[in-house]
Amino acid sequence: MAQAAAVGTAQQYNYDIVKKFAIMALVWGVLGMSVGTYIASELAFPFLNFDIPYITFGRLRPVHTTLVIFGFGGSALFATSYYVVQRTCQTRLWSDFLANFTFWGWQVGVAAGALSYMLGYSQGREYAEFEWPLDIAIAVVWVAYFVVYVQTLRRRSQPHIYVANWFYLAFILATALLHIFNNLAVPVDLFTLKSYSLFSGAQDAMTQWWYGHNAVGFFLTAAFLGMMYYFVPKQAGRPVYSYRLSIIHFWALIFLYMWVGTHHLHWTAIPDWTSTLAATFSILLLMPSWGGMINGIMTLSGAWDKLRSDPIMLFLITSLSFYGMSTFEGPMMSLKSVNALSHYTDWTVGHVHSGALGWVAMVSFGSMYHLIPRLYDTKIYSTRLIYVHFWLATIGIVLYITSMWVSGIGQGLLLRAFDEYGNLAYTFVESVAFMHIPLVVRALGGGFFVAGILTMAYNVTMTILRAKREQAEIEAKIAAKMAASA
Amino acid sequence: MIKHESIETNAGLLIILTLVAISIGGLVEIVPLFYINDTVEDVRTKEGYEAVRPYTPLESAGRDIYIREGCFLCHSQMIRPFRDEDLRYGHYSLAAESKYDHPFQWGSKRTGPDLARVGGKYSNEWHVQHMIAPRSVVPESIMPNYPWLLENELHYADIKKRLIAQKRVGVPYSLTDEEYEENVKRFGPEVAKWLDINRAEENLLAQAQANNYDGKPEKLTEMDALIAYLQVLGTMVDFKQYDESYFVKFRVSKAGGTDSE
Amino acid sequence: MLAEAWSWITDLGNSKVAALLIFFFTFVGILLYVFTGRKRAERLESYKYIPFQDDDEPESEIETVKDDEHR
Repeated sequence: MAQAAAVGTAQQYNYDIVKKFAIMALVWGVLGMSVGTYIASELAFPFLNFDIPYITFGRLRPVHTTLVIFGFGGSALFATSYYVVQRTCQTRLWSDFLANFTFWGWQVGVAAGALSYMLGYSQGREYAEFEWPLDIAIAVVWVAYFVVYVQTLRRRSQPHIYVANWFYLAFILATALLHIFNNLAVPVDLFTLKSYSLFSGAQDAMTQWWYGHNAVGFFLTAAFLGMMYYFVPKQAGRPVYSYRLSIIHFWALIFLYMWVGTHHLHWTAIPDWTSTLAATFSILLLMPSWGGMINGIMTLSGAWDKLRSDPIMLFLITSLSFYGMSTFEGPMMSLKSVNALSHYTDWTVGHVHSGALGWVAMVSFGSMYHLIPRLYDTKIYSTRLIYVHFWLATIGIVLYITSMWVSGIGQGLLLRAFDEYGNLAYTFVESVAFMHIPLVVRALGGGFFVAGILTMAYNVTMTILRAKREQAEIEAKIAAKMAASA
Repeated sequence: MIKHESIETNAGLLIILTLVAISIGGLVEIVPLFYINDTVEDVRTKEGYEAVRPYTPLESAGRDIYIREGCFLCHSQMIRPFRDEDLRYGHYSLAAESKYDHPFQWGSKRTGPDLARVGGKYSNEWHVQHMIAPRSVVPESIMPNYPWLLENELHYADIKKRLIAQKRVGVPYSLTDEEYEENVKRFGPEVAKWLDINRAEENLLAQAQANNYDGKPEKLTEMDALIAYLQVLGTMVDFKQYDESYFVKFRVSKAGGTDSE
Repeated sequence: MLAEAWSWITDLGNSKVAALLIFFFTFVGILLYVFTGRKRAERLESYKYIPFQDDDEPESEIETVKDDEHR
């Protein structure tokens, strides 16, 4: 049977696993972003909590972050990394079985996690809410991912490992490290989900934000840079601007990121020097971040007209622009004086989303629009709809970020305002009342973004259906020919 | 000398060097954890006992509900050393005040106000009303209603196991007589009783009975536990006993040398 | 002399300066390595064409292979 299947690229490469992950990325994307828009609406209109425990803001918020980061982002990374490693090594993915194991393990893990939060099981650590049995399961899946990836690299047909794979590899290694150390905990007993973290207080805070920031640094940045280094050149039809810059970019980025997590803890009960060190490295981090952005954008140098004719290119280049913007905003917010105002406010939320929507989601959309027609050996159903998606997404992001600036900076200023006698000028709840309009606009922005991904889901579904139809027609023709010649 | 070429062409070497590069920053952030006891303030009661104690069984059960509902996603428990926060919330938070918090609940967002010193600020009746229908006491509030907390009976069958698990990660609850005696020395005879795992259930019931947090004496609800937890937050350290300069020295650099940056 | 240097290195107070120097010179070393030498530059830049080496010419292959299989 194995020999009979040796047909074309579809069999030369394992595209089946890439297809599955790509489709699930869209499914989780639609779900996770919808949940995000819903909880944004809950903040604007609290009646939407409906007195139902399972859908209150506190329980749905980790559902949102888990579905978009691990469901959407994670599946997009599995899909693209499995595709890129095969195409740049020109070899088939190692072990179909293990690759399938990572697929089912990951999907079940994400779904079980989301359900468990709604039922009230959470470790109470941001972006690491999975309780201990799920943590263990995820670690096992991750080891399988590592093995599949490295074994495929080792089977490559040429000596050099393309730089995109370095980024994916660093992401896999760092995520393993972070996941294991941040989730050290002692369960109440073997038959409950409840556990208590190994560290406490200030130690626990340091560990959690070492994890939290590097989840951003490696999961949401390094890995997506890997995506960028393959899909931007491929879509542009020209090689990356400077390969040497990409080498510097890689080492500087992965070295610097790990130092900066403590900037999430400025002015808290940790030693001052850890905070200063983190701020210093955050500023340094601007350089590799922008080095990477320039490398990506300049790939298009001399072919800027593609931006006018190719909506996929529009997605990719816009994502790099947002990447540049949020990696400038980040170091700025890590300055202690700025952080004093911005921390604890919506400014942080806006910053995260300019990275998450502007960079992570946009670069994934662009890459998937490139990827999906190739996986199904067809053309995209509608280029017009890609433009529609692009504008919906862009308007959504702009609404989101600007409303969060207003809300966050506004609240920060209100809370530190004094009257002429030196008393506080505003109560806390007055700042909450002020935030109402920005919160409504933010939910609206989220709505635009969801409308965008729904457009994409429709476009992709139609593309796949058409590909299936074309396939069936070809097979029918061949069958007819065979029948005639027989 | 290793040529970069051999790195690019050798997956194993690439993995090792990547691990080295990402470990350095990680180590610099993690190693201070081993020194961090120097930065946790030593705070005492008038009698000379340790001021910050582990949570009682009822408070601990309340804390578990606090985590279950995801309260920390909107409420921080970390007051920063700024004048406005001092006026609004009270003295800035000490590391010592969360040293028994597994996990920490400092939070990262204030959609609602900080809760690090909410203990004793409002009456139990206010809390019950605010939890069931926040907008009935604070019209502009955007907090969800939590009516089920007053309906759900508190599950405390596994309270001993929960305390034992916390003991395993370093919280000084006592199981043996020696541990009990040790707690008497550290926290005083009154507090030591509450930290005895063997008496966890009776302590839990006694505290709920004595304080009747939820206003329903006939029923032990999740509301009882949650309010017990909220009412103890930030109340353990008596700041009148200390000169401000005493706390500053803990935060300004010990581990890792000078504060030259 | 050597003892003095050793005591400077082992003094934890100097570890920050030492670490800074090590990291900085490693970085400069990598920079110099990557951006010097014309041959090395050519070799390194040649790798950027890797994503294009399998360019979608297999598409024609797909057809022929398929036909073969069915015959």
